[in-house]
Amino acid sequence: MSRIRRDPREALAAVTIAVSPRLRIDRAHRGGAGLMVAEAVVEAPRRIFVDNPEFYVFAVGDAPGGVLSRHDRQVLGAARMLAGGKGAVVFFAATQEAAGPLGADRFMALPGGYDPEAAAAVLAVAVQRYAPRHVLFPESADGGDLARRVAALMGAPLFDNVEAISAASAIRPAAGRRVEWRAAPGLVMTIAADMVAPYHGVPHEVAALEPVAAPVRRGILAAAALAVDAAEIPLGQASVVLSAGNGVKDFQGFLQLAGAMRATPGASRVVCDAGLLPRGLQVGASGTVLDADVYIAFGISGAPQHLQGIGKVEHVVAVNTDLHAAMIARAELAIIADAQAIMPALLEALRA
Amino acid sequence: MKAVALLSAGVHPRSGAAMPVPVELQAIALARRLGCEVAGVHAGQGGPAIEDCFGHGLGEIVVLRIGDGDDPLAAIAGEIAVQKPDLVLAGRRGQGGADTGMLPYLLAHACGMAIAADAVGLAVAADGLEVVQALPRGARRRLVVRLPAVVTVHESAPPALPFVYRDRLLGRLVETAGVAVAAPAFEFEARPYRRRPKLIGEAGGSAEARLRAATEQKSAGGKLMVNPEPAEAALAILDFLKKFR
Repeated sequence: MSRIRRDPREALAAVTIAVSPRLRIDRAHRGGAGLMVAEAVVEAPRRIFVDNPEFYVFAVGDAPGGVLSRHDRQVLGAARMLAGGKGAVVFFAATQEAAGPLGADRFMALPGGYDPEAAAAVLAVAVQRYAPRHVLFPESADGGDLARRVAALMGAPLFDNVEAISAASAIRPAAGRRVEWRAAPGLVMTIAADMVAPYHGVPHEVAALEPVAAPVRRGILAAAALAVDAAEIPLGQASVVLSAGNGVKDFQGFLQLAGAMRATPGASRVVCDAGLLPRGLQVGASGTVLDADVYIAFGISGAPQHLQGIGKVEHVVAVNTDLHAAMIARAELAIIADAQAIMPALLEALRA
Repeated sequence: MKAVALLSAGVHPRSGAAMPVPVELQAIALARRLGCEVAGVHAGQGGPAIEDCFGHGLGEIVVLRIGDGDDPLAAIAGEIAVQKPDLVLAGRRGQGGADTGMLPYLLAHACGMAIAADAVGLAVAADGLEVVQALPRGARRRLVVRLPAVVTVHESAPPALPFVYRDRLLGRLVETAGVAVAAPAFEFEARPYRRRPKLIGEAGGSAEARLRAATEQKSAGGKLMVNPEPAEAALAILDFLKKFR
């Protein structure tokens, strides 16, 4: 029996997509068989502009501190999905920074600062003028409040806390999460956090919409942020946590440092077991699972159970004497030094 | 000052047994701390779970009897118009029904009252009511609200008053027929709740991007300092923190 043998040279030529300036072989055939391209063509960045939209979808963002939050991006993602190719997403927030790449086509500014009554009035007028198919809000503290104000002003039912959404249906929990309601996407909806993916497609071009004026009946006469003592914030809610492990000896100094840094104090299991800090401060699998932005670990090597507790934390600073500790590998800023020596220096630097 | 606490028919999250809603008991405690005279208002069927609120500091509860398909808003708005309280306290959302959290807002709109959400502290101010509002991450905001007002209460408010059995026996229950208006029709399909996975990281995008995000070890941008001077290390930490504050 003889069979036709494969010609290795021919097979190689079939998957070679470029010879110059360097040999490029694509065995997955992504570029098409036998495609010989001398130079890669650099594609100009494309942008989509929706010129004459058939309908509008409103997306309202919190934009805390003038930056779009993760939740805002997800709301824009849901709005983009509902708008499809023919509708336009109108983004309402105090800032329009980076809204185009997230799928927004139009932008209308909401009043800055905390003014939910004025924002609700503007939105209710905008809904009358543009007759959008859907108005989406984040189900966050301020976003959920604004959504309910707008729904009450418009007299529209609210389909809140949507956990799954498609063009045909939206699903929300009800009756204490024992049942779920499924219905066609309604006019006013709020989107639950971390349930809908943000938009990752081709960026859209954002045009400004003419702002609307709306009369406001004031019920909230004044609003101001209150200074909160970081040590009083529950560990699970804190945004900056300073944590002590076995490498820390002076706990009075540690608590003083946490106060000076405006950070919530935490501790490893070893420290709590020894009774050096209260059990309530323990971070990790058998203590508190953090939701912080920044975690500063002093003298903590990083046991797996401790790392579970900081799984959601994005930015970690570690001070440890062991270069090979798991916490050093996890950290964005790792300092190989004695934590006990760094603490007074840090306190000094904060006072200077 | 006269206050009304809205009571809903709560259910225990695990056993499903009837019980008072904890955040509504915290609302009663907030009003008592303010020195208000507090009455409870419930629209529905009433029952022992509602009457348990007597034990947590309520002197009187008005139960407005309405059917299952009726809208509680009309009944409660009617009762508010009769009692004319300065302050109406409620939980952020009901429990056991639609749970949309719309009722306090619709009530404020219907009665022409101001509304503030997520209170953890109340005090009397010169031109109205001072409300300390809970925000995510333990932050707080101070609002001054025009009276009369509807205020919803947050779970991190001070704890409820302890249960007193004597007060539970002595509370005055007023039962009347509420204004029965059918709730607006809303078409939906109900089915058992199914937990859905949460997005982790910046999910989405192409399959390739998701595979890369899942398999590549996230490089933290890792700046490593080996045996630095303490002062130098302290400055590095402070510089790092400046980016997030």
